[in-house]
Amino acid sequence: MTASSRSTDRPAVEARLALRLAGSLNVTTGSLPPEVNERLRFAREQALARARDARRVAAAGAHSTVGMSASGALLLGSYRPWLQRAAAFLPLLLLLAGLMLIQQWQLREQVLAAADIDSLLLADALPPTAYSDPGFAEFLRSDPQP
Amino acid sequence: MATDKELSDFLKSVEKRAFKRTVYAVRSDDSALDIVQDAMIKLAEKYADRPAAELPLIFQRILSNATMDWFRREKVRNALMSNMSDFDGAEPDGDFDLLETLHAVEGSLGAESASDAVSRAQILRLIDAQVAELPGRQREAFLLRYWEEFDVAETALVMGCSEGSVKTHCSRAVQALAKALRAKGITP
Repeated sequence: MTASSRSTDRPAVEARLALRLAGSLNVTTGSLPPEVNERLRFAREQALARARDARRVAAAGAHSTVGMSASGALLLGSYRPWLQRAAAFLPLLLLLAGLMLIQQWQLREQVLAAADIDSLLLADALPPTAYSDPGFAEFLRSDPQP
Repeated sequence: MATDKELSDFLKSVEKRAFKRTVYAVRSDDSALDIVQDAMIKLAEKYADRPAAELPLIFQRILSNATMDWFRREKVRNALMSNMSDFDGAEPDGDFDLLETLHAVEGSLGAESASDAVSRAQILRLIDAQVAELPGRQREAFLLRYWEEFDVAETALVMGCSEGSVKTHCSRAVQALAKALRAKGITP
């Protein structure tokens, strides 16, 4: 064999040798320990179970879309994921709205109570300044005359 | 879409090679089994709706990524990091005669007598060990190209490199294996 023909054949020889060497790996791989084979079988079964679950979920999703009316599917079909995401925030929004409503109601109650007190004070015969008079306070503390 | 049977058959056909390939990389049976299991589950969960013909390429890609993830986690834990260098090993020797090694390997592995069978088993173990000793990228290219029998483009896709790099890795891997076998006395 000449040097030039060797260099021409080199990729072919390299590929043949590589295939022969790789093929020999099949022999050693065929005799794996039983526990390894068992774990591989378990992993395979797990994977197949997950694939079945994934298909079931996909089929259920497709079925629910098919169950809508044509106009509903047209309207909601493409927005369904967006609507589902938005729906997840709905309870939070309701909670915030409720809290704000309660706060507004309490504020209004406080204002109304203060207004009631003010109107009673102003409508009374006793002037409001009397309550800041020390003599009047002393009069209230003193025993009533017999 | 791949049926349950197609997926099962595919996994059955590939699982042992996937395990062995991962053991070469991570040097631990338990870790390799975990990685292969993760790759199988990911394939089943995310790509079970793909045609059966696409599964081999997708699975090898997932397996490579899962192995890289394992190395990253190990690196974080300061554990032993296997050498994943691209260009380890000596440059190929231009005068090295691959044909002689090919004849030697074919002669040794084709032996039929009892004593030859023993020597054949030894050679198989030797080849196995030498493949394990290859630098990571060379080994990956060699196994994908010649064991999984992907073409150069598919191997490049799985490895995330150029086709030229695949050819270089494969050539260096074969050279290194041939050299190692000759050094161990596998000659015609």
